[in-house]
Amino acid sequence: MASQSWVVLVVEDETLIRMGIAGELADEGFTVFEAANADAALVLLQAEASINLLLTDIDMPGSMDGLKLAAAVRNRWPPVKIIVASGQIRILEVDLPEGGRFFPKPYLGSAVAAAFRDMAALQLSPI
Amino acid sequence: MAALSLPPEIANGLALAIVASSSAPMLLLDGHLKLLAASASFCDAFQIAPASVPGQQLASLGSGEWDLPQVASLLRATVSGDAAIEAYEIDYVRDDGPVRRLVLNAQKLDFADGTKLYVLLSISDVTEARLIEKVKEDLVREKAVLLQELQHRVANSLQIIASVLMQSARTVQSDETRGYLRDAHHRIMSVASVQRQLAVTRQGRVELRPYFTELCASIGASMIRDRTKVTLDVDIDNSSVAAEASVSLGLIVTELVINALKHAFPNGRDGKILVRYAVEGPAWALTVSDDGAGMSPDKKTAKAGLGTSIVEALTAQLGGDLNLSSSSNGTKVVITKKVATAAREPELRAV
Repeated sequence: MASQSWVVLVVEDETLIRMGIAGELADEGFTVFEAANADAALVLLQAEASINLLLTDIDMPGSMDGLKLAAAVRNRWPPVKIIVASGQIRILEVDLPEGGRFFPKPYLGSAVAAAFRDMAALQLSPI
Repeated sequence: MAALSLPPEIANGLALAIVASSSAPMLLLDGHLKLLAASASFCDAFQIAPASVPGQQLASLGSGEWDLPQVASLLRATVSGDAAIEAYEIDYVRDDGPVRRLVLNAQKLDFADGTKLYVLLSISDVTEARLIEKVKEDLVREKAVLLQELQHRVANSLQIIASVLMQSARTVQSDETRGYLRDAHHRIMSVASVQRQLAVTRQGRVELRPYFTELCASIGASMIRDRTKVTLDVDIDNSSVAAEASVSLGLIVTELVINALKHAFPNGRDGKILVRYAVEGPAWALTVSDDGAGMSPDKKTAKAGLGTSIVEALTAQLGGDLNLSSSSNGTKVVITKKVATAAREPELRAV
C-alpha cells in the first residue's frame, strides 16, 4: 500500500516534539498536518477531509485533552485511525477510543509509522 | 465461659466495680436497659456526673446527646438475643464540642442462673484515629500523584530531547554526523526505557528481561532495515537489579547492539545478534554476540570511538571484566562480574 494515501494529523502542544514527529512521519511518506491543541485539530479535521490518521498527545491546554479529542474524532470521523501518546506509563483501556492504540513517551517516529501502517492493514484485510 | 460460682450480691458488686474501674469507656445496663454503672473513663470522656448514672435510661444521660433511637433499638435487640452490636459507628454530637466518631460494641452477659440480664456497652472514640488515617491516606495519595506527575514530566522531557536529536539527524548533511546523532538518540531512548521500567515497578529495582526486551525492540525498530535478514534476540534470566546498575547495563547493551548492527553485517549480509544475561554461580554475565563478519584487524587497533569508551567506562563502574573475542565467525563481548557477597547483582562502585 502506498503510504502517500495516508494523511496524518499530529496534535501535540510541545512544539519541539510536534516538529520532530511531524518531520519523521513526513520522511516515512505520510502527509502531515499539525495542531497544537484539540480545538485547532477539530478545525483542521473539518477543513481537510483527507485526514485519515490521528496522533494525539493526552495532556494539552484548551477545551479538551487528547482523550476527549480522540473520543470526539472516533465519533465524528469513525474511519480515522487513532494513536494516543502520553508521558503517563499506561492508561485505562476504556479511555482509549475503539481500535485506538497507546504509545508511552518517549516514542520512536518509526514505531508510530509502523503502527499506523499496521492499523491500516488490519482494516483492509478481510475478517 | 466457665466461671466461679459467687454469691449474687458479691457477683453484682464485683461486676459494678469492674465496670467502674475500666480504663475503656463502658456502661453496664440491665435487661430493661436501665443504667447500672458507668466507668470513670466514660464519665470523664463524655462529661457525665458519675452519680447521675445509676437508674437512668441511656437516652436521658447528659443533655440528650445519648438519645439515639437506632442505638436503643439495637440494645433492645441485644437484650432479646436477636442481634448484637458489633462495631456500630455513630456520630456523637454535643452542642458545646466538635462531632466525634464513636464505635459501640454491646454484649449480653450470660449468667449461670439466667434470671438476670445484663448488657455491657463499650464505647471507643475513634475520632483521632480516623483523622490520622485520613491524613495518612491523603499523604499517600498525594505522593502517588506527585510521583506520577514527575514521571510524566521526565518522559515528556526525554521525548523533547529525543525529538531534537532526531530532527538534527534528519537535517544534517554529513552521514557521519547523522550516525552520531542517531547513536545519541538511541542512548536517550535507552535511559527512557529504564525510566519506564522503574515507574512500572516502583520498587527501585528493574527486572532485566522486560527492560532489555523493550530496549532491543526499540533499537531494532529504528536500525534494522530488513528484519528477514538481521534478527535481534534476547535471552535474559529472571534477574532484577538496582536502578543505577540497570542504567549502566542498558547503556552497555545499547552500545554493543548498535555496534553489531553497524559493523557485523556489511554488504547486506544476513545475521543474528543475541543479548544474554544470566547469573551463573557467584557471578553474572552479560553477553552480546553476533554471527557476523568479525572485526577487521585495523578496527581492533583503531582509536576507540565513543561507544567503546562508554562500554569500558560503565563496565569499570560496575566493577566488571570485559572480554572481547572476534573472528570470521562473529564477534562476542562478555562482561562478567564476580559477586562475593550475598547480593548477587551489579552494584555501583563508589566513585
